[in-house]
Amino acid sequence: MKQKAVKVGITSLVLILALAGLMYSTLSEGTEYYKHVEEVMVDPGAWHGKNLQLHGYVVKDSILRKPDTLEYRFKVQNKGAVVDATYTGIVPDTFKDDSEVVLKGKLDARGFHVDPNGVMAKCPSKYEAKKGLTGPGA
Amino acid sequence: MASLGSFLLMATFVIFAYALAASVAGARRGSRQLVESGVGAFYLAAAVMTVASAVIVQAFVTDNYSIKYVQRYSDQLQPMFYKITSYWGGLDGSIMFWVFLLSAFGSLAVYVNRDRHRELIPYVVAIISGVQLFFLFMMIVHKNPFETFLVQAPKDGQGLNPLLQNIYMVIHPPSLYIGFVGMTIPFAFGMAALITGHTDDSWLRAVRRWTMVSWLFLSLGLTLGMIWAYEELGWGGYWGWDPVENAGLLPWLTATAFLHSVIVQERRGMLKVWNMTLVITTFFLTIFGTFMTRSGVVQSVHAFGEDRALAWMFTVFMVVILVFSFGWVIKRLPMLKPRYELDSWISREAAFVANNWILLIAAMLVLFGTMFPTLSEALTGNRLTVGPPFFNRWMAPIGLIILALTGVAPLLAWRRSTLANLLDSFLWPVVFALAVSVGFVALGVRVWSSGLCFALCAFVAATIVQEFHRGGMVRKEATGTDAVTATIGLVMRERRRYGGYIVHLGIVLMFLGFAGEGFKADEQFLLKMGQEATLRHFKVRNDGVQVTDDGQKQMVTGRVAVFENGKRLGTMYPARWFFRKHEQQPTTEVAIRRTAGEDLYLVMPAYDLKDQSMSLQVVINPLINWIWFGFGILVLGTGIALLPERAFAFALGRVPSETATP
Repeated sequence: MKQKAVKVGITSLVLILALAGLMYSTLSEGTEYYKHVEEVMVDPGAWHGKNLQLHGYVVKDSILRKPDTLEYRFKVQNKGAVVDATYTGIVPDTFKDDSEVVLKGKLDARGFHVDPNGVMAKCPSKYEAKKGLTGPGA
Repeated sequence: MASLGSFLLMATFVIFAYALAASVAGARRGSRQLVESGVGAFYLAAAVMTVASAVIVQAFVTDNYSIKYVQRYSDQLQPMFYKITSYWGGLDGSIMFWVFLLSAFGSLAVYVNRDRHRELIPYVVAIISGVQLFFLFMMIVHKNPFETFLVQAPKDGQGLNPLLQNIYMVIHPPSLYIGFVGMTIPFAFGMAALITGHTDDSWLRAVRRWTMVSWLFLSLGLTLGMIWAYEELGWGGYWGWDPVENAGLLPWLTATAFLHSVIVQERRGMLKVWNMTLVITTFFLTIFGTFMTRSGVVQSVHAFGEDRALAWMFTVFMVVILVFSFGWVIKRLPMLKPRYELDSWISREAAFVANNWILLIAAMLVLFGTMFPTLSEALTGNRLTVGPPFFNRWMAPIGLIILALTGVAPLLAWRRSTLANLLDSFLWPVVFALAVSVGFVALGVRVWSSGLCFALCAFVAATIVQEFHRGGMVRKEATGTDAVTATIGLVMRERRRYGGYIVHLGIVLMFLGFAGEGFKADEQFLLKMGQEATLRHFKVRNDGVQVTDDGQKQMVTGRVAVFENGKRLGTMYPARWFFRKHEQQPTTEVAIRRTAGEDLYLVMPAYDLKDQSMSLQVVINPLINWIWFGFGILVLGTGIALLPERAFAFALGRVPSETATP
C-alpha cells in the first residue's frame, strides 16, 4: 500500500513540477498580452516593447498606403482612445474602415508597429461565424 | 412548422428522461420489462429526432424565413445542396445535429449489443440519455433552432457565408461530429461496466469497432479541416494551433492512446485503470472542445462571440461528468486491479504505457496552451496568449517520440525482450535509418528537427516493411503459395494487426509531409503589369487582372505566368470572388501547383484594375502532399482493420493446423 502511495506521490510531484516549469518558460517569452486600445493608452509607456495583441476598430478614413508599396499607416481606436499604427505587408480582405481588428505587434513612442502577417480583421457588419479565418496567418 | 419543431425537441427531452429513469429503475429492480420499455423509449427518441431533422431541412428547402436560423444561414440564390447542409452551418442547428447523431448511434449500439451485453444495456441507455438531456435542455431554453421572428419575417435570407460554400464545409463538420459523438458510445459502455461491476473485457469488445470508426471520422474531420484551411483560407499553411483546431485534436490524442491501450488489457489484463481514464477523458474532451468553441471562453479568430449562459451550462455539465465518472472509477478500483505486473521495461506492455503517457502529455500541453489566456486572465488579470511557436516547440519533440514508438513498440516482445530479440528485430531498420541519415546530412539537412524526423520515418517504414516481409515469408512456407497470395492471406488473417501497420505507414508519410514545413518559403511582392519576381527556383510574372461575372458572384482573376529554373511551366490564376449580398466578405481563391516534391501556392490579396498591378503572396510548401496521401493510406489501413470476422474465414482455413500462431 505504501509503495503505491509513493508511486502516486512521485508521479504527481513530477507532473506538478513539469507544469510549473512549463508555465514559467512560457511566461518568460513568446507570450502576447491581449489588450484593448484604451487599456494600453492609459499608460503607453508601461507597454513599450512588450508583445501585444491589440484589439480595436480601424478609424474611418485613416487607412493610408504608400503608392507602389505594401506600407500601410492607419489609426485604431476603442472607447475613445486612439493609437497610430504602421504595417508592411499584405492585409486581409476584411481590413477597412470600422473593421474590428486584432493586431500583433509592439508599441513604442512613435506608435504601434504591427508584425508581419499580424493583422487579423473581422468584417465591419455583424458576423457571427463558427468557422472562417480572415487574416494571413492565425 | 416551427412550433412543430420546438414541440418535437421538448417531446424528445421527455422521452429521454423516461428512458433514463426506466432503465436505471429496471436495472436496480431486476425488472426486464422496465428495462425494455426504457430501450423502447430510447429508440422512439431517435425516431422523433429524425422527424425534427426533417422539419428543419424542409424549412431550408422551402425557404421558410420565418425561422431565424433558416433566415440567417440561407438565401434564395443559394444552391439547394448548401441549403440542405446549412442544417449544421450555425450553432443551434449544429447542436441539434449532435443530438440527432447521438440518438441514431446510441440506438444502433444498443440494438447490436442487446443480447451479447444484456447486463450493460440499461446503463448504456441511461448514460447516453443523460448526455442528450443536457444538449436538449440547452436548445430548449437557450439556443432553439426553431425560434421564429416575432414580427414580420424578412423576405430573403442572409445566406451562408461564402467562405463556407464549398465541399469541405459540407463534409468537415459532419465528419468531426461523427467522431465526437461516436466517442460517447465507448464512454457509455465503460461507465456501464463500472456501474454494473462487469469490469472484465466484454465492454472492450463491444466498443472496439465504435472507437475505431469514430477515430477514423475524427481523423478525417481533422485532415479535411487542414485541407480546407490550406485551400480556402489562403494563408499558406494548414494548421495554426487555433482553439477550434485544438478542440478537435485533443480527443483524437486520447482516443489514439485508448485504441492502443485496450490491446494490452485484452492480451494481459493490465492497464484497466488507464483504459477507463482514457475513455472518460476522451468523452470529456469532446464536450470540452464543444464548450471552448461555442462559449467565447477562448478568443479565437474563428469566434469573436461570447455566450456566458452557454458557458455556465457547459461548465456545470463538465463538472458533473468528471465527478460522476471518476467517482465510479475510484469506487471500483478494487475491481480494476491488473492481472499481471510489468515484467520488464523492455517489453511491449511498457512501450504501450509510454505511448499512453506521451499522448496524454501531448493532450495536456495542447490544453494548457489553448486555455492559457483564460488561466492567465484569472490569475494575473492580464490576458496572455501563446501562439504557434509555443505549440511547435513542445509538440515537435513529442511528435518525434511518438513516431519512434510507432516503430519500436510492435517489435518488442510481450513481457520481456531479450538482447537477441532486439538485435534480430532492429538491426536492419536501424542500419537503413542510419544510411538515410548519412545521406541527408550530406545534403545539408539540419539534424533538429527535420533530419531526425526523416531518419525516424525511414526507421519506422523499415520496421513495417520488415514485418510484412517476415510474416509473408512464414505464411508462404506454411501454405506453399506465392509471396503475393501469402502476404494478402497474412493481412486478412490478422486484419487488426496488419491494418494497424498500414495505418502506421500512413502516419509515417504524414510526418514526412509535416517535416517539409521546415523548408518552407514565403514572400510577398507588389507587381506592376509585366513585372517579375523570384523565389528560389520559381519565377512569377504579372500578366494582368481580369474581371468576370457568373450571376452569383463577381470574379477578379489574376493571370500569373510561372517559370521553374527558367523554363515556362504555364499560367496560374489566383483570384478573389465577391458573392452577391456578401460583397464585404470576398473569398480568396488560391492557385496551387502540386507535385510530389512541393506545392507552389499563389494568393492575390489585392490588385488595382486601373493599372493592372497586383500584390502577390508566393509560398513554396515542400513535401506537403505526402500529408494528404499519407492520410489516404491511413484510411485504407483502418478499413482493413475494421473488416468483419465472418467474411474472412477463408484466410484462416488455408493454414495447416501445425503452423504456430504468431
